Amino acid sequence: MASFLRPGLFRQTCQNPTASQCMLSTFTSSSIKRATPLAQQLRPSFVRSAIPKSTRIAAFHATQRQQLLPPQPQKILGTVNDPAPVPTPEPTHGAYHWSFERLVSAGLVPLCIAPFAAGSLNPVMDATLCALLIIHSHIGFEACIIDYFPKNRVPVARNLAMWALRIGTVVLGVALYSFETNDVGVTEAVKRVWHA
Amino acid sequence: MATTRALTRLATRRTAVPPAIFTRGFASVDPIAREPISKAAEAAVPDPARKPVPESQTSTIKEPEAEKGAKIKTFHIYRWNPDEPSSKPRMQSYTLDLNKTGPMMLDALIRIKNEVDPTLTFRRSCREGICGSCAMNIDGVNTLACLCRIPTDTAKESRIYPLPHMYIVKDLVPDMTLFYKQYRSIKPYLQRDTPPPDGREYRQSKAERKKLDGLYECILCACCSTSCPSYWWNQEEYLGPAILLQSYRWIADSRDEKKAERQDALNNSMSLYRCHTILNCSRTCPKGLNPALAIAEIKKSMAFT
Repeated sequence: MASFLRPGLFRQTCQNPTASQCMLSTFTSSSIKRATPLAQQLRPSFVRSAIPKSTRIAAFHATQRQQLLPPQPQKILGTVNDPAPVPTPEPTHGAYHWSFERLVSAGLVPLCIAPFAAGSLNPVMDATLCALLIIHSHIGFEACIIDYFPKNRVPVARNLAMWALRIGTVVLGVALYSFETNDVGVTEAVKRVWHA
Repeated sequence: MATTRALTRLATRRTAVPPAIFTRGFASVDPIAREPISKAAEAAVPDPARKPVPESQTSTIKEPEAEKGAKIKTFHIYRWNPDEPSSKPRMQSYTLDLNKTGPMMLDALIRIKNEVDPTLTFRRSCREGICGSCAMNIDGVNTLACLCRIPTDTAKESRIYPLPHMYIVKDLVPDMTLFYKQYRSIKPYLQRDTPPPDGREYRQSKAERKKLDGLYECILCACCSTSCPSYWWNQEEYLGPAILLQSYRWIADSRDEKKAERQDALNNSMSLYRCHTILNCSRTCPKGLNPALAIAEIKKSMAFT
């Protein structure tokens, strides 16, 4: 009766109905001796053997393997001897953008240290810190979006992400403004959390 | 008289049999003749209808006869055959006796191709790190197979992949078309309108020449570009470290007169500024160059202008 419980053999008999009778009789003794994996023994054989072989493998996986951005077929613009297209110069997205970004990053360093080192709570300095923080985070997330949502691959997702970022930046700005005007302000908040 | 001499020379050349020593590959050290390679090839050529097979289940092609004191090392090599486009890439294992193999990874590859599996495909040319053909990913690092020593620790298995994130032509051969097109787009040649002042040569001072050190040595093996995550994600638009290093090589050249045009070509969001100073390029360069420094120099020269 062991052959009936053993799904591998049962599968074979279902696929090969003409040989099923002799297989049941001849393989009974050998299948007992053979060590089978526990998982195979526990599998519901009657369900499994009813499915055709091709679908059985696909159905076994609980989750489908999905690639985020599967590689596209290779596209070569022009002939292989043409140079890759050179984009038109846009300093506002190139050199100016980079310089501005570096200025903001460099400016944030003293602005983060100064209030705590000096111990002063100047609202103007607080406001500058908030403004630079917003710009800095916006530029950083923008770079992430440009990196991971290529315009020619996923234009809709790119636009969605960009608009989500803009909305988020505006919300953050409003929130920080209200926090600065109605509450204690960023520096004081950090100080209190630090000492809490 | 001359024609008859030439004719006799041609005739002798055609009949002459090349000496057997020239037909052997460089990496084979063993003088004993082996079994015909077709036997091993029959075992290695896969069935077209098979499913992707992990390396743990593929056959391992072994050394024909293990000698005493043999240092057997296993190499797992990425295989993909364009003749079977529906089948997935797989890892094929080979074992070699390191005593009979040259010291470099390329020697091992050549020996596998000569003696074990002639279907293995890879690029090689100079075997001394000058041509940049044999760039591949060995044990997780992009490097030139001819400059990479085989680790003598036989307990560790080596894994050889093609350059990451490239379209693969076959086995270890990546398609470099886009890379070369990008190289062409930066106009890698001297651009001048004015003739030299003395009408003879474009002269450079020693200090000006010194600026090109560390730039002109680049052999365009694409190890750095294919190690750059930014280049992986935005290959079509971002130029990548190798091309930017070459671009800086011409920007820094004192004889070149199109510096502004060269900088303008990079002055957009994608071509240059997708570099986020990850520095994989400088870490992986098999020639010990510093592409990240070159990119930083370009950025510096274009900043606040």
